[in-house]
Amino acid sequence: MAGALAERDFVAKLERAGFGEVQVLEREPVSIDDCALYPLFNDEILTLMRTLIAPEKQPAVGIAIVVRARR
Amino acid sequence: MSRDLMRSDEIKAFVRDAYRAVNGSTTRVAERLYSAEELALVPESARTGALGLGNHVRFARIEPGATVLDLGCGSGIDTILAAHRAGPTGRVFALDFLPEMLERTAQAVGEAGLGNVETVEAEIEQLPFADASVDVVISNGVVNLSPRKARVLAECARVLRPGGELCVSDLTIDEDDLPPEVLTHPAAWAG
Repeated sequence: MAGALAERDFVAKLERAGFGEVQVLEREPVSIDDCALYPLFNDEILTLMRTLIAPEKQPAVGIAIVVRARR
Repeated sequence: MSRDLMRSDEIKAFVRDAYRAVNGSTTRVAERLYSAEELALVPESARTGALGLGNHVRFARIEPGATVLDLGCGSGIDTILAAHRAGPTGRVFALDFLPEMLERTAQAVGEAGLGNVETVEAEIEQLPFADASVDVVISNGVVNLSPRKARVLAECARVLRPGGELCVSDLTIDEDDLPPEVLTHPAAWAG
């Protein structure tokens, strides 16, 4: 999460790398409860997220995207 | 040093340690992302270790005979689905920087009875493949883990043949929505 980009920056990096026809095919919100499914998120960071992230933002702390692009 | 000023090698070490510590004992992620038909093709050992973010293989245009590169194969669930699509005349390279993950993928590939997968230990910033040698690059929640994303994407472009495709799932965020205490926590670099 700390290294994730905004979608527009991800797409821009793809284009700068030489990709064309960049399509974002799917966008799925990732909630804090979704994060808790992953053993990579420990109790400490989950508690931090639940405490510090505004309640209205907690259902979508990130967006999982599927991107396809052509070389 | 502030954690948001960590060097690339420190970030990689965090990511490496976090993934190495995962024991792969849940199917919850796999069941959230993949259909019952897809999961039926995948041995339990790969289902229990799934840590991806999406189901991009569903969107990837993998033709029979294709050469596919799976960046950060983990326990191998996407590698196996791609290998079924590429068929016996195709080839899937399952690449990861952790030998432990490659062992899990090799085990799952063996259990699936697939003979068209080769595991490769390498960094995603420096792919050990010739220019224009791959038809499709797939990856699931891995690009965001790299401190050198432009380099990763440039390497993908280099190894793909002209007209080849990259099809990946990845996490995007709005930094303004996340407090610095979260963004600078070590676990946030791996999760």
